[in-house]
Amino acid sequence: MRKSILFSVSLLVVVSLIITACGATPTPQVVEKQVPVEVTKVVVETQVVQGAPVEVTRVVKEEVTKEIVVTATPVPVVKEKAPDVLGLPRNEMVIAGILTGRVGAPSNFNEWVGWKWRDRGMQNLANEPLWSVDFATGKIVNGLADGDPKYNADFTEMAIPLRKGVAWDDGTPFTSADVVFTVEELIKFEGLNAHNFMADNVASVSAPDDYTVKFVLKQANSRFHTTFLDRWGCTWIMPKHIFEKVEDPVTFEFNPFVGTGPYKLHSFDPNGYWTIWEKRADWDKSPTGILYGEPKPKYIVLQAFANEGAKILAQLTHQLDAVDLSAEGLKAALAQGKTNRGYQPGYPWVVNNDPALTGLTFNTFRAPYDNPDVRWALLLAIDIVEYEGQAVDGAGTLSPVHIPSLGSYPKDYIEPMQQWLSDFTLDLGNGETFKPYDKEAPQRLVQYVKDRGYSVSDDPAVVAQTFGLGWYKYAPDVAEKLLLKNGFSKDKDGKWLLPDGKFWKIEVITRSDMSHLEFKNGAAAVQQWKKFGIDAVQVPSDEISALTQTGDYDVSGAWPAQEPWGAGPDLYRSLDFYNSAYVEPIGTITKGHTSRWSSPEMDDVIKRLRETDPANTDQVIAIGIEGLKLAVEAMPGIPTFGYVGFVSWDQYYWTSWPGSENPYNEPYTHWGPFKYMTPFLEPTGN
Amino acid sequence: MTFVKRYLIPRLIQYFLVIFLGITAVFFIPRLTPSDPVSRTIAQLTAMGSFLDPASMDAFIEDLTEMYGLGGSMFQQYGAFWLRLFRGDFGVSFFQFPTPVSKLIGTALPWTASLLLVTTFLSWTIGNIVGGLAGYFSRRHWSRVLDTVAMIIRPLPYYIFAFALLVLLAYVIRWFPVSGGTDIGRKVAFNWPFIKDVLRHSFLPALSLVVLGAAVNFQTMKLIVQNVNAENFVQYAKLGGVKEERIVSRYVIRNALLPQVTGLALSFGQIFSGALITEIVFSYPGLGTLLYNAIITGDYNLIMGITLLSIVAITTAILIIDLLYPLVDPRVRYI
Repeated sequence: MRKSILFSVSLLVVVSLIITACGATPTPQVVEKQVPVEVTKVVVETQVVQGAPVEVTRVVKEEVTKEIVVTATPVPVVKEKAPDVLGLPRNEMVIAGILTGRVGAPSNFNEWVGWKWRDRGMQNLANEPLWSVDFATGKIVNGLADGDPKYNADFTEMAIPLRKGVAWDDGTPFTSADVVFTVEELIKFEGLNAHNFMADNVASVSAPDDYTVKFVLKQANSRFHTTFLDRWGCTWIMPKHIFEKVEDPVTFEFNPFVGTGPYKLHSFDPNGYWTIWEKRADWDKSPTGILYGEPKPKYIVLQAFANEGAKILAQLTHQLDAVDLSAEGLKAALAQGKTNRGYQPGYPWVVNNDPALTGLTFNTFRAPYDNPDVRWALLLAIDIVEYEGQAVDGAGTLSPVHIPSLGSYPKDYIEPMQQWLSDFTLDLGNGETFKPYDKEAPQRLVQYVKDRGYSVSDDPAVVAQTFGLGWYKYAPDVAEKLLLKNGFSKDKDGKWLLPDGKFWKIEVITRSDMSHLEFKNGAAAVQQWKKFGIDAVQVPSDEISALTQTGDYDVSGAWPAQEPWGAGPDLYRSLDFYNSAYVEPIGTITKGHTSRWSSPEMDDVIKRLRETDPANTDQVIAIGIEGLKLAVEAMPGIPTFGYVGFVSWDQYYWTSWPGSENPYNEPYTHWGPFKYMTPFLEPTGN
Repeated sequence: MTFVKRYLIPRLIQYFLVIFLGITAVFFIPRLTPSDPVSRTIAQLTAMGSFLDPASMDAFIEDLTEMYGLGGSMFQQYGAFWLRLFRGDFGVSFFQFPTPVSKLIGTALPWTASLLLVTTFLSWTIGNIVGGLAGYFSRRHWSRVLDTVAMIIRPLPYYIFAFALLVLLAYVIRWFPVSGGTDIGRKVAFNWPFIKDVLRHSFLPALSLVVLGAAVNFQTMKLIVQNVNAENFVQYAKLGGVKEERIVSRYVIRNALLPQVTGLALSFGQIFSGALITEIVFSYPGLGTLLYNAIITGDYNLIMGITLLSIVAITTAILIIDLLYPLVDPRVRYI
């Protein structure tokens, strides 16, 4: 018996050692030094083509010397061999992850109906929208459109100029007839996603010529065109020559997919794990080709994995070039991968310019969260440094207002609001007041990060960009005064009681996926509020969408505000979600923000914003600031830090990814502008 | 005739009643949860970046409710469901609209069935044969070693064990693929390259299931055999000079197999629920993830389609075992 136990234990130890030894890689080292870096820049020039001025984008390479942080993930030197795919050399192909997972309906590409896993390549490679948002550059990219929409004075008519020289991937020219057909089809068929929007808004649509579309709207709408603006989805244009032969576009599978993007469908897995796209022979007839030149990869594979471990193993074996991971997954990939890199070459490695703001949302239709004093008290009970340290190890950019601190938003909104934020005062009762804003919060975060052993720059501009411009003070004493003012009390154990004397328990509902930032925000909030003396519990649930939409929750880890466009200063997309017209009673699906907060003052801001030309930047910003002030005063949700993206790139086969040192394009392979990245990727020769 | 009247007919009535009640329960239970397919569809669309104009939301909700066949009371929907079912129509998936449920199940089922039929049979056979021998010869050295190995393997959480296999054989040694049912780009075809590819991709999922399954069967069988071995009739046979091979095969194993056969039948029935964790660890196609996603998205029709298969399979397996039991165990008689 003893021998057999010894034998078994020895076997186990040997196997463990093999696994450990084979998995061991050098510890990542972080070194700062001066090195020459070749930078690819996109230059936009105006050239005359066929007698007409055309905006042309050109790529130039410059060698600059700049300070970078070198991690233990240098350009590969070890020759390894990954399996070929399709019998073709792996180095002609980019393999990227599908963010939304395994495709549920692999043979159905009809993205006008329901949800069709668009990031399997439809939106990001094979299709072009009229316009795209690129949050990295803060610009709107003209795709099928050849310029901005032109509204009449009262916003009841709109014209769109279309790009010439574009063809569908089956060779049929793209014209205004496709756009007109799409809108008419959407109005006609009820099962199409955009049916109601088009039916409610469009009186008529026409094509004065092959490259102009004219809309007559049923009512004034200065943002009508944004339905065609791709920000992780939009209203796409149908190929008329295909859909006009279809009797029922709702049940039509649209297989094979035909698009105007630079890649066309090659093949797909009937089980939904992969889709292969092939570069079009006539790539120069896609807006991507016209704007940026020839895409480099011949094939692009979008692949789904059912678990993160498999993604990491695939990257470490060079079978996956680009993928989104969790915080822990990215750390593992960077530590183990000899050729892996994150969006930033050094700490915090992550994508921190994603146009989404994370935080907490209160159900303002449920007591005591219907009271702004209570909401503010819960905010002041949060030590944001501890909170963010627990949630994302200090990697997020703080925002004190209900938009993320990225792109042009700090300059347009958060900087101009600094004085107002500093002066903003809370009434604590008994004539006592408190100014909650803390400009030094980012510095406190920097100190935390340094204490954790990470190397960060002391340059104020870098600190502001990485950690934000400010947040709120950690003031549990003030939070206590606000609660006492509103009838709350504490029991003998120091636990908080509601005004009716009952025990105060907060349920923070979050997604169940532990790597999701909703989960991480919820978990951090629970810790903070427990420390403050409230019995807070986290309730992870896959039903979070249904529960928050119908108002069956106290506090959620859902985004505290609707995401803004991510390009341009217009905040209509965010603020309109606080419109009182969209608020529904508890039990009914709400149409606006799940906090269900609204106010007459915010309605007025929304109305004025709607009546303002989005191109009138000064006016848009001025009204937007008014809206943000109202949201801060009411605090229907607590904005904490901007979305943190954990992108991992394997540079074994492909390099020139749009990292933070050269953000020529947004960095995600699942966003629409991935196609605009493809001409700039460089094969390494491996 | 007595068998038909006194046993078969009541047993068949019970069989159909169980199926009817099972299907009825599966129809109502998802509808009583907070997960509503319309709100899940809207949530999915908005979470994935689709901007649904709030002003047009009411009409959109109405459209989806109508398209999904969720109009009317729950009992009207129940009646319509049975009418559809009698026509052999499971309806369309809400979340993968408008893909028919039968198509989704038809795509996933061959993967699950082939993997789990083989692994269930192998783990049962290996576990019972080795477990039976180890139980009978429980004092031998090799029996103790096998017992210790099984004791180490069996408590391992399946997820950890499967992932360790993946790391060892797909990353460290790189003999097998990291994920998927086939290579990227492989087209489904009934030819040797495709079959070889499927076998290669199925090896690790199968190995993980067979090893753990066999360990379970091994320990159970070993214990049962040890108990049977101590029975008087076995001791009597030994004393009576019956050959050891005969004692093992006819006296011990045959008696010990009875509960194991029932277990095998139930395991075959459960195949239609899929192997969720296996599918997740190895990114392997199958019914498990299909059912899981259907549950979390409130996809009533798809839940119904898969669970209906499962209910029918399990109840049929039990019925068949009940009817065949007299052949296996002479002590059982339906008269």
